[in-house]
Amino acid sequence: MSEVALNPMTGSGAPQAPLRTLADGRQSRRAWRAARVTVLSEFYEWGRVASTLGMLVIRAALTYWLWQALYATTKSSAGLDSRQATTYALLGVFYVAFRAVNRWAARDNMVQHMLEGTIAYWFLRPVSPRRFYCIKACGDLGYGACWGAIAYIVCLTTGVIAPPVSARAGLAALACMALGLVTLYYLRLLIDLACFWTVVNNQLVIMYEIVQNVLAGALVPLWFFPAWFAAFDRLLPFQGTLNVPLSLYIGRTPVNQFAGALEVQALWIAILAVLSTLVWRRASARVTVLGGSDDHDDGRGSRTRDPR
Amino acid sequence: MNINRPGRSGAFGGRAAGQAEGGITAENLTKVFHVSARRPGRFSAVRSLISPQRVARTAVDGVSFQIQPGELVAFLGPNGAGKSTTIKMLTGILTPSSGRVEVNGLVPHRERIANARRVGAVFGQRSQLWWDLPARDSLSVLADIHGVGPELFRERVAAFDRILELSAFWDTRARQLSLGQRVRCDLAAALIHDPAVLYLDEPTIGMDVVVKEQVREFLRDQVENRGRTVVLTTHDMTEVERLAERVILINHGQIVYDGDLSTLRRNHSDTDEPDGNADLEDVMRRAFGRQASELLGERAESESSTRLGGTGERAGAQNADKPQAAMSS
Repeated sequence: MSEVALNPMTGSGAPQAPLRTLADGRQSRRAWRAARVTVLSEFYEWGRVASTLGMLVIRAALTYWLWQALYATTKSSAGLDSRQATTYALLGVFYVAFRAVNRWAARDNMVQHMLEGTIAYWFLRPVSPRRFYCIKACGDLGYGACWGAIAYIVCLTTGVIAPPVSARAGLAALACMALGLVTLYYLRLLIDLACFWTVVNNQLVIMYEIVQNVLAGALVPLWFFPAWFAAFDRLLPFQGTLNVPLSLYIGRTPVNQFAGALEVQALWIAILAVLSTLVWRRASARVTVLGGSDDHDDGRGSRTRDPR
Repeated sequence: MNINRPGRSGAFGGRAAGQAEGGITAENLTKVFHVSARRPGRFSAVRSLISPQRVARTAVDGVSFQIQPGELVAFLGPNGAGKSTTIKMLTGILTPSSGRVEVNGLVPHRERIANARRVGAVFGQRSQLWWDLPARDSLSVLADIHGVGPELFRERVAAFDRILELSAFWDTRARQLSLGQRVRCDLAAALIHDPAVLYLDEPTIGMDVVVKEQVREFLRDQVENRGRTVVLTTHDMTEVERLAERVILINHGQIVYDGDLSTLRRNHSDTDEPDGNADLEDVMRRAFGRQASELLGERAESESSTRLGGTGERAGAQNADKPQAAMSS
């Protein structure tokens, strides 16, 4: 065979009749039902449910005993009594439970989709990858929130933790926590989007977790840090995700200072939302899922890149 | 394959006459990847780390073709020929470096949402099922994502079940399914929203003969009775013989043959074989030389062949050092 025998084209690629309808560009609201994947996945794997429960109980118990031990010889430290400090630390543990879903075990995190090339399917659905990620995150958050809420109710009714200092403080803490979760969503999204450039983001996730936990006050309450550190941290998005809502809850921060913290959080959310939109746009243009059975690595250490 | 197909009915929507739904047009489609190549010599790894060398690789080089609604076209070529890259440009996953592509009258990479409503895909062993969910739950979630209502979902799944026999294992979690079972579920997943165009990138790879035949029967049904356009890449020539009347051969990113199967056979049959009866694997061996072993999915050393004519020679020089795995099809 020596000649190229192209199929006769009807004209020179005459434009086909566009079939767009108004509904075409619209993303289905039914798609939000996909958020149930998290709950279904976890409930089919009882081992994972049991390990989440075990982890939560162990962390809560150890945290409680640690703070009880720390306050054994003193009634007050850094302006907080034992009950306030224990409440803060335990609420921090429950808050972390919001992110309890083990996506790795479910083979459903961004790194795995990038490595296995299944990220391609995200671009073949009438829901943008950006929205699909959001739906997934809402499912994860809803599931984690159930764990956190159960743990909170159990500890509150047994008197292990204190109720909010006032109804206003409770509401302010709740509002602040909601904004904090949005901030966390965008931060995690940006870390995941790095996979479009780096394929794997494990090291980045570890770094992020350390920075997040320290600067949010999850490891040690921020009032134990020097004043300059606290002042610097107030400008960053991390403090609003944990320290601010919990400080409002236990009465460490007066509710009248709530507005200032809210403004910083709202500003960060706006910045992160714009940034993530831009990064999604770049990522979608450079997605490179290659090959019928292999991908990414050409076996010689080089990786293909879309020039765009 | 016939171009005029019966309209779809029942759980599957009908198509308005005169519309180009299911039609595919590619004109001078080109895809260039930039790879960081390792330099030869001592300390090459360190040197590449400090100062990486970027090299442009042309995976698809000016490909043009048109596929009519309701056609089943087999897209064939050795590993690294550019089949999968072409398919991924047709699906809208990859953005072409240059050229024009239109599927169902839409530009896939620009109108991804609208395009996604009209195309389905199965990429070899990559599954879109959720690992921990029973297959039926995954199909249900995908139906929600595509905005398919529960009644339509039940009807469609029942229709798929009649040929693919999904009910025997659809309550099993994806992680526990065999390869054949998983791919059958993935086929159902790709068609749950009743797309006009279906892309199948090596769908039967690694399957046993019985399941392969089941999948073929399903695909025949989809084309002949549902009027879907199917673009298929495969290394299985029996599949091509049973399903496709038209084949597009691609090598080094360029189309080297686009026409019906019988003409291809006639052009490459031995003189003692009656016209059109030549074994397709023999035809491919004669057409692609030693590279045919890759096209046929056999393990063999790949060597570039220039037996496929003028265009192949140029492309062969251009792609001689193309990383095979990165561009594998």
